[in-house]
Formats: sequence, C-alpha cells, structure tokens
Amino acid sequence: MSTNRWDTLRRFDVIILATIFIALAWILTVHRTTDFIIFCIFVLAYDLLYGYMGRLSFGHMLYFGVGAYAAALTPEYVSGNPFAALALALAAGALVGVLLGPIIVRTTGACFALINLAFNQVGYFLVLIAFAAYTGGEDGKAAFFDKVWFLDFGNRTVVFVTALVSLLLVSYFLGSLTNSPFGILLRTIKENELRARFLGYDTYRYKLLAFTISTSLSAFAGWLSILNYTYATPSFIDPHRNVEVIFASLIGGAGSIYGAIAGGIAYMAISNYLPNYIQRWEMFLGMTLLLLVFKFQTGIWGFVSSLFNMPRTEEKS
Amino acid sequence: MIGTIVYGLTIGGILYIISVGLSLTFGTMRIVNFAHALVYTVSAYLLISMLPFLGENFVPAALVAVAAVVPLSYVIERYVIRRLYGTSIDYAIIATYAVLLIGVDLIKWIWGATPIPLSDPVNKSVTLLGVSIPVYRLLIIALSILMFGLLEVFFRRTIIGKIIVAGLEDKEAAQSIGLNVDRYFSLVFVLGSCLAALGGVLYAPITTIHPYMGFQVLLLSFAVVLVGGLGSLRGTFAAAFFLGMVMAITGRFWGPAAETMVFVIMAVVLMIKPIEV
Repeated sequence: MSTNRWDTLRRFDVIILATIFIALAWILTVHRTTDFIIFCIFVLAYDLLYGYMGRLSFGHMLYFGVGAYAAALTPEYVSGNPFAALALALAAGALVGVLLGPIIVRTTGACFALINLAFNQVGYFLVLIAFAAYTGGEDGKAAFFDKVWFLDFGNRTVVFVTALVSLLLVSYFLGSLTNSPFGILLRTIKENELRARFLGYDTYRYKLLAFTISTSLSAFAGWLSILNYTYATPSFIDPHRNVEVIFASLIGGAGSIYGAIAGGIAYMAISNYLPNYIQRWEMFLGMTLLLLVFKFQTGIWGFVSSLFNMPRTEEKS
Repeated sequence: MIGTIVYGLTIGGILYIISVGLSLTFGTMRIVNFAHALVYTVSAYLLISMLPFLGENFVPAALVAVAAVVPLSYVIERYVIRRLYGTSIDYAIIATYAVLLIGVDLIKWIWGATPIPLSDPVNKSVTLLGVSIPVYRLLIIALSILMFGLLEVFFRRTIIGKIIVAGLEDKEAAQSIGLNVDRYFSLVFVLGSCLAALGGVLYAPITTIHPYMGFQVLLLSFAVVLVGGLGSLRGTFAAAFFLGMVMAITGRFWGPAAETMVFVIMAVVLMIKPIEV
C-alpha cells in the first residue's frame, strides 16, 4: 500500500474506528465492548504522559479510581444527574492532578514511576479503609443515575454509544493536541528537557498542564466505567492493576493515538479470553512484557506502520 | 510507650537494611529495581524452606537464604537490566517489574498463596521498665546499626566503596575522571540484593510470609530513600529510623494508617524540598 492510499485511509479513521467497535459489539457483547472502549480512553490518557511526554507512571489507576469514585458517590450525596457526576469526576481528576502534579512532575524516570505508585497506594487506603463509611470499603458502592431527557444510562446501548462517541472525541482532541505546538513541546521534553528549557520554555508549566489533562481524562474514563458497571469497587483504584495500562501502552506502541487504541483492544482481548486457558496469568503477563521490551519495542502500531513504510510518528529514546 | 519505641526502631532497622540496597541501585543506575522486592520475598521463602533441613537453626538458614540470592540477582542484572540499560531507563524499569510478576507467580506456584507465619527464632524477652520486649527485636536493631558501621567502613575506607560512592554522588563527574562506573553496577546490584535478602529474612519472623510482601516494602523503602535524599547513605540511615518511628507511633493509634503516613510524610518532604532528577 502506498503512502498516498494510507493517507486516504487515515482520513476516514473516525468511520473505521466506529466500525471496528460496532463490529466488536456485534461479536462480543455490548457491555464488554463498552469496557474495551473505556479502557482505550484510559490508555490514551496514559499515553499522553508516557508516549508523548516520556514519563512512565506506575500509579495511573489512582486517577481512574478518583474519577470512578467521584462519579459513584454523586447520586447519593449530590444529585442523580449523570452529567453532574461527569462534572464532579472531571473536577476531581483535575484537582488531584493540580494538587499532586507539583510534587510529581518535577521528577523523571524511576522517581516519577514510584511517586505515582506511592500516591496510588494512599488513595487505595483512603477508599478501602479510611473513608469506608462513604465508599462502602471492600463491598464497593452502587450508583444509579436518573434519566435525563432521552438519555437513559440504565440502557446498555446508550452507554455504548456514549463511550464510543467519547472515544472518538478524546482521540480527536488528543490528536490535535499532540500535533499542536504544545504537543511538539511535550515531545521535545521527552527528547531533551534541558534543551527545551534552554529555548526559553518554562517546561514545568507545560508538564503540569499535560499531567492534569492526563489525570482528568483518566477520571473521565472512570466516570464512563461507572455508567457501564453501575458500581465502584476498590479494584478500580487497586495499585496492582497499574501493569494493565502499561502493558496495553507497550503492546500497542507508545506515542501514537492508534497505537494506544490498538493496545487497549489487544490487552482487553487477551485479559478477557486468555485466562480461561492460561493457569499462570501473572507469569504470562510478565513474560510478554519482557518479550515486548526486548524484541517488540514499537508495539503493534509500530509494526503496522513499518509494514506500510509509513513515516514513523513515534520517537524512541 | 517503650514497646512502641522498640517496635519503631526495629522497623527502622529493617527498613534501613532494605532501603540502603535500593538506594545503591537507584543512585547508581537510576532505575527502580522492582526485582528488589522479589529478592526480599524469595529470601523469606528460602528461609522457611531451609529451616527443616538445618535442624530449625535460624542463623545458618538465614545465611543460606541470603547467599542464594547472589546468583539470582546476578542473572537478573546480567540478562535483563544490562541488556536494556543502553536503550531506555523506562524499559529497564518495566522489565524489572516483569521479573517481579514472574517471580511472584513462581512463588505462588511453588509455595502457594497462603500466608505462612514464622515463630520468633530467639523466643526470649527481656523486661524493660515493666514492658516485656522480645530479644529478637533488640538483635535486629543492633544488627542494623552494625550493618551501618560496616557499610560506612566499606564506603569510606575501601577503594571499591569509594568508587561506588563517587558514582552515587555524581556519576558524570566520576566518569569524567576516568572511572568506569558501569563496571561496578553488577557488584552494586548484587550487594543491594543481598541487603534486601537480609532484610527479608530478618523481617520474616515478625510478620507473615506471603507472595506480595515485597510490594509494600519496596514502596516504603523508596519513601525512605527519597526522604533521606537521593544518593545519601547517611541520610537513608536517619530517614529509615525516623520513618520507622512514624510507622510505629501511627500504628499505635490507627493500625491500617501506618504505611500511608509514611507516604504522606514523603509528600510533605518532597513539597518542601522538591527533587529534580
């Protein structure tokens, strides 16, 4: 396939993506496909930090869980309107980003990874034990939303369409964001932060902004998963689950919108169907991760791109 | 009150032994070695497996467990970390996490996932101001201070130790005077892993042994390393005992919050003195 045809194909990416997910909903179930889509949004949010800004977070479940719990607690304490829950989830995600960001974004590499993980551990403790009276502790919290206008989120198809539209919007948003001067600056920070600073950019501000966008989008994914599951459990914020999004980001190919979506679908497919056949699931995950970092660093999307001789978008440090 | 203080010092001693190992690999190689948690866990399991063969003698079993992690950590360093070190630090971190996942699952496969309790190897207590205190805990405190002394001698008096300290404090400056710091990575890594294993066997009789025990401890020791200051070995010593006391005092009032308090203090310290690495 020539680059020209590839570009034509790219122009229809919205239609292609929508078709893929509707076909998936046909083959699997609507509920499960919604789960796939939500995870893809989460991977996209994660990839903004990892793929574009070059910061590996080991604690992104925290931001997902903050959004999920903010949404799940809204019906009981604020209002049954699902959009009030959305607003609160986004606000909570942004607030956590703004509060923790100043501590977290100054660091790189290993420090960045582990500080995120430590805060995730704190969040997990808060949800599981400290605020168990509100969050329901280990039992979790059920959340049912009112019907707004014609949108009844008790209906699985409505949730599916909402999630799909959200995914398309988020990928469009991130696509334009990462190609804007801001996105290019993020990649510059990944390549060489010192040089970006030397050019006169206050990199701290941009990193904080990118971090907050990432946490808010993760919280958004949390809100969607509350719509889909109608309950929140501590597993939504469990620090042990961070490996999932790292795995998805790696297998799909970091630093590309399509890569993140491919990785999200690939991980969800693997984790939904393989554990039936594989006894030692964690070992399988570990082995695959090793294989990915040794032999398959560009991931699925990098592989597909090189197949079509497309100019590579992702840069490996 | 005496009990709380002794408990805090015990935790601090163990945290020191584990985090000084983490501090070494973190300071010189700039990676979070998730395999550190694995080595810690493996040593505790090896300890309980060796005990029946050695007539329930704690000391030889502990020594065997610590010695057994030397080849394990060498293999991890040589075949996983060193191969990725040139490409990207992120990949090296992910790879050590993958090693942790594989190792934890192997442990679950071999020993099962049920927590295993271990009895106090000394099983004697002394009474101090009317409070009975297990001798074993006092031994841990003494041993950790002894380790501190030994490591101080090693790092200040021997040439290899000095090279490692130079690498810790400023890697590029050390390289620019012609020291091949990278060559000492294996040694640092194995030394760090042995310290983790020592921490594992010492802590095993106080807590229960379970496959995920390393995960928590890794985060705690990471907090110790950050609070103590990156690459500062004496800072690690002070921070370990400080945070150990914090854990003991918090745990006295509200048990489950003990570990969270450590991270809160870490956040406060990082807010006052941000690290730029």
